[in-house]
Amino acid sequence: MAMEIKEPRIGVFVCHCGVNIGGFVDVPDVAEYAKTLPNVVHAENNLYTCADDGLTAIKNAIKEKNLTRVIVASCTPRTHAPLFMRICEEAGLNKYLFTFVNIREHCSWVHMKEQEKATAKSKDLIKMGVARAVLLEPQEEVKIDVRPSSLVIGGGIAGMTAALNLANQGFETHLIEKEPELGGFLRKLSTLYQTQESSAKAYEGLIKKVEANDKIQLYKNTTLKSLTGYIGKYDAVLNVNGEDKEIGVGTIIVATGADEYRPKGLYGLGEHDNIITLTDFEKMVKEDKVPADLKSVAFITCSGARGQDKEYCSRICCTVTVKNAMKVMEMASKGGDAEAKVEEASVDEKAVSDKEEEKAEEPEEEEGESRRRSRRDRRGRRGGRRRGAERGEERPKERGAAVDVTVFNRGITTYGIEQELLYNKSREQRVKFVRFVPENPPKVSMEDGKLTVSYYHETLKADRKMNPDLIILATPLTQRPDAQELSKMLKVPLGRDEFFLEAHVKLRPVDFATDGIFLCGTAHGPANITEAVAQAYGAASRASIPMSLGYVQAEAIVSYVDRERCSGCKSCEVVCPYGAIQFDEEGLAEVIVAACKGCGTCGSICPEKAITMTHYTDEQLTAEALAALEEVGT
Amino acid sequence: MEKKNVLVIGGGIAGIQASLDLADKGMQVYLVEREPSIGGRMAQLDKTFPTNDCSICILAPKMADCFGHDNINVMTYSEVSEIAGDAGNYNATVTRKARHVNEDVCTGCGDCNAKCPVKVPNEFDMELGMRKAIYLPFLQAVPRVMTIDEENCIFYTKGKCRLCEKACKIGAIEFDKGPEELKLNVGSIIVATGYDVWDPTPAKEYGYKKVQNVFTAMEFERMINAAGPTGGHIQRRSDGERPKKIGFIQCVGSRNPQLDHPYCCSVCCMHSTKEAILAREHHDDMESFIFYKDMRTFGKGFNEYMERGKSEYGITYINSDATVQENPANQNPIVVYDVAGKQEKMEVDMVILATTLVPRKGAKELAKLLDIDVDEFGFYESADKLLNPVDTKRPGIFIAGYCHEPMDIPEAVAQASGAAARAAELLSTKGVS
Amino acid sequence: MSEEEATASGFEPKIIAFLCNWCSYAGADLAGVSRYQYPTNTRTVRVMCSSRVDPVLIIEMLIHGADGVLVGGCHLGDCHYITGNYYTEKKIKLAKKLIEKSGLNPNRLRLEWVSASEGERFSKVVEDFVNEVKTLGPSPVAGKNPDVDKLEGLFVAKNAARDFRLRSLVAREINLTEKGNVYDKTISQEEFDNLMDSAIDEEMARQKILLMTIDGPYSVLDIASQINLSPEIVLQHIVTLKDRGLVVVDRFDGVMPLYITPKEEVLR
Repeated sequence: MAMEIKEPRIGVFVCHCGVNIGGFVDVPDVAEYAKTLPNVVHAENNLYTCADDGLTAIKNAIKEKNLTRVIVASCTPRTHAPLFMRICEEAGLNKYLFTFVNIREHCSWVHMKEQEKATAKSKDLIKMGVARAVLLEPQEEVKIDVRPSSLVIGGGIAGMTAALNLANQGFETHLIEKEPELGGFLRKLSTLYQTQESSAKAYEGLIKKVEANDKIQLYKNTTLKSLTGYIGKYDAVLNVNGEDKEIGVGTIIVATGADEYRPKGLYGLGEHDNIITLTDFEKMVKEDKVPADLKSVAFITCSGARGQDKEYCSRICCTVTVKNAMKVMEMASKGGDAEAKVEEASVDEKAVSDKEEEKAEEPEEEEGESRRRSRRDRRGRRGGRRRGAERGEERPKERGAAVDVTVFNRGITTYGIEQELLYNKSREQRVKFVRFVPENPPKVSMEDGKLTVSYYHETLKADRKMNPDLIILATPLTQRPDAQELSKMLKVPLGRDEFFLEAHVKLRPVDFATDGIFLCGTAHGPANITEAVAQAYGAASRASIPMSLGYVQAEAIVSYVDRERCSGCKSCEVVCPYGAIQFDEEGLAEVIVAACKGCGTCGSICPEKAITMTHYTDEQLTAEALAALEEVGT
Repeated sequence: MEKKNVLVIGGGIAGIQASLDLADKGMQVYLVEREPSIGGRMAQLDKTFPTNDCSICILAPKMADCFGHDNINVMTYSEVSEIAGDAGNYNATVTRKARHVNEDVCTGCGDCNAKCPVKVPNEFDMELGMRKAIYLPFLQAVPRVMTIDEENCIFYTKGKCRLCEKACKIGAIEFDKGPEELKLNVGSIIVATGYDVWDPTPAKEYGYKKVQNVFTAMEFERMINAAGPTGGHIQRRSDGERPKKIGFIQCVGSRNPQLDHPYCCSVCCMHSTKEAILAREHHDDMESFIFYKDMRTFGKGFNEYMERGKSEYGITYINSDATVQENPANQNPIVVYDVAGKQEKMEVDMVILATTLVPRKGAKELAKLLDIDVDEFGFYESADKLLNPVDTKRPGIFIAGYCHEPMDIPEAVAQASGAAARAAELLSTKGVS
Repeated sequence: MSEEEATASGFEPKIIAFLCNWCSYAGADLAGVSRYQYPTNTRTVRVMCSSRVDPVLIIEMLIHGADGVLVGGCHLGDCHYITGNYYTEKKIKLAKKLIEKSGLNPNRLRLEWVSASEGERFSKVVEDFVNEVKTLGPSPVAGKNPDVDKLEGLFVAKNAARDFRLRSLVAREINLTEKGNVYDKTISQEEFDNLMDSAIDEEMARQKILLMTIDGPYSVLDIASQINLSPEIVLQHIVTLKDRGLVVVDRFDGVMPLYITPKEEVLR
């Protein structure tokens, strides 16, 4: 191989990262030390190397000092390497001649109380980087073609939305759904709070559009059986009604949704017909099977969530609870039509007693909160009510409600505008909210043949009981059982909450770390419909990028077989997970560059040491590590 | 002729993401930002929850990518002044305000602002620190170019000075240059104008601007930031001392119909938790008390983050409304709250108000210009909230981020990509090549 | 320096950590982001996959005085490269055996699975390993007066780690014990381990012989007494090594052949 004969000229840029590094590591001292290392012709420290001036400094130094290697000692290559590599490239230096040294996550932030040692370690890490940099070689990236077609897994609202968008952008889209019908979780719901209409109305319109779109290949009763390939060229085998069907696509979107968590025995779930979950209740409403004579209904939020079984908050259940609490009220008031008429006739009289009743019920309604708060809220609610009345909205039937609805909660999570307003409205309608602390949740039992909820009243500081006809548990959404298998097939991770784990929690919400695969809807975590739809469009946008361009730039880090040394023993083929090794007529190994992902498993097993991992060669790794074992020269 | 051009209004994280998505797939983007730098609110934040990622560290690469992108024309210090036409063929007029510094020449070296005699409060630092009349809004600003603020520059107010012009060795100052108008033809428009922090002064019970050691959460973000006005030191306004006991008050102005903000601003429970965690990270002896209505920990890892706040970072959560008084002897704020209906008082060293967030100033005017709807609080409204959340009533104009409704960064990013997808869909289905 | 002296004098071990990019390096990043504090003794080398870490590389670190080597990968089943870390496990198993044969405590090498979300766990792993290495004391081959026998042992182990047969066996362990070989038969883990152990013993012996014959020439009896093996076994190894061209007869001491490693092989 043609090695550069000229001595490498290394520039080292040590970042303060404000006080993130500079507060714990003596950055100027580290930069001075870097100057003493072999082949280092330039070293400086920057307040923020990633800021425009830092980047300009790198570019200028490359040009002015003829740098042939650049080292940045700052944060983690996992987020910032692409930026610095691009800057090197812009200054005419092959980006693989860049070396990243992590002195923040791996040093200043973890040795905040040992500043001298942190400084010494920073020096060592830079010395290691220099040892590695000297041995680096420029690498070429090849372009890999991307098929303009996508596989969308899951035919719920998110999957359908993503598929339609991609199809309308002109991409061939394969939409697979494991159930016989499209619609997903929405099929289980009754009325949506956003529209006050049936959920069927929302998904049926979408299903029509999907079925009418000739760019969408729709497969129902279908699952993904196996998958090979990489971004641009995925080959999938689908199980369509029990038969195999092979398709090829360029990108994949995961929109497999979530299940409702149904912990048997929690608050007596599954042990009594009248202890049900939110989804059970939605089904009752949908099928018009809600018992007509309900006098008392209890909801318990965070059932099995936020530290009880699941650690996470499931985001949507409070609003769904509020919606259904109002539904119960609404149904009861409809049931008592005659009563309602009488009510209307004596509104004024009722308004007077209204105040009295509010006073009496105060602690019941405003658990664990201040009196001042109660007063203000009530004013607020009244204000809201008045405004509502002015707009000619129907005055809520808060009086003489035929049913008592109590929501046992750990705080109500109705974030944003619509949900919070809905919550306010539910309180106007006299849904009672009783707060409990996780250490002392309400207890469900049978007493004298009646369902009983015993709870501790935080404000009254007293134990209380009620006998609801129906107990509705707000349980969290949870990952589907087959997600584990899909995660392995796609080589994308699940998080600690078992939902699919995106590439970055803030800035890459619909990407996976693996190129070419994207994520949306409740497969990512609990979300309401609006959020799932926005994510679906987002995932479609991300997937459309490589498909619009028609190519992606392949990684340059792959393995390489030295034919002179290869004995054709096939050890490499045995260990390669990607089938990226093939054998020529002479029985010698060669690497399929587009399939190789650069893990290096083959290189460290080859009995003849005939395989070199570019950019992570034995020599580079050895030199880098050994540099740490020499004493720091200061 | 119809083109695959898109105008993005607002250069915060949502606008940046929408621009990058479109540009990466080969479409031409015009990104218009009112301020001198792109970055928006996220650039002001110190860290992001629940991973305590350094906010500017993860944002800066995106800002640089955006500005350096071949397919993105970033126009800072600019505003859209006119819109005409229809989906697929909008004619937009962009007014590029005079920054009086040549963007192509200025290197942001700072020689000029060292000489500028005018000092005014820095908006980026929530006016906790000062800047000059010729200035770079913040260290990582993109583009890294100075701007002269006409309102405060002595040359524009009194007719003489021009010290910056003398100081600039490369002749980048352009006193005689006025604003410019630019006509653009675009197929679609994405609006991502973000939020403002509500000024809590009118809600007197919180003591803001009356009790010295009461700050807003955004002020605290700047204060605790290493590049901020205090160099990352948490300091009391009254004596510059470092607090040891901080009270955080939630829902200041939000969830409050009396103040016309009945909505929940969606992020404050978490940012107060984050700020309390950061305060403890800075100082081992820091104690924090968060007074809340409901702790809304609904995002990925949020509930776990709050639990860690309790167990590892000395945060005490108190379920109560709270108001603020002052101890005149030492300027300590006194938090007045209730426990089980009984009034309590707690003297702290500093109070941080989680103020509500509202649509940006000028959002309604922009809506009028664009002929899109706003709701009663000034947020842009979707045409179909359920199934097309990023569409407005006017075809071809899409919305993303906080200007649309209260949301956190990942939702804003997902929506921004979503708006990009809708714009791309529109321009594809119109058969535009 | 004895263990007690080392602890008393504030012995700070030098530990090389090879961390995979996707999980353990990311876990270390998260430890940083979350500010989990841990001792400063590790020096990290980032690799794409833990399976990139060659046993030869590990032993090389020990030869150069590392007090410990930490290898971090994804949890089994979570490997970014699907099966990479299953092979990591096998490679580390071989490396540990070779280290033990060379006379060092194999606990100086540790393999840990740390995921990208386990920042706290990463800090605990480092802390725990640093403490363990402190208890083991400074590496016997580090410093100005290394234990020559053990150093020689490590050289022998490193050469053994390069052996064709050992590496081929490592590559095929999963296939042989779990998936079945070309004849679709599996062997039990115990059978495999026995096979591997005897291969390791043989290869260590051959490498010891080679290490001697580099400075040769020596007779079979010289070698046998030096490396504590019976002359018969040494002779068998000599025959194998002669076949591979790694030793030749240099001259005869009377009727006794004296063996030496040819110069070109030494250079290789």
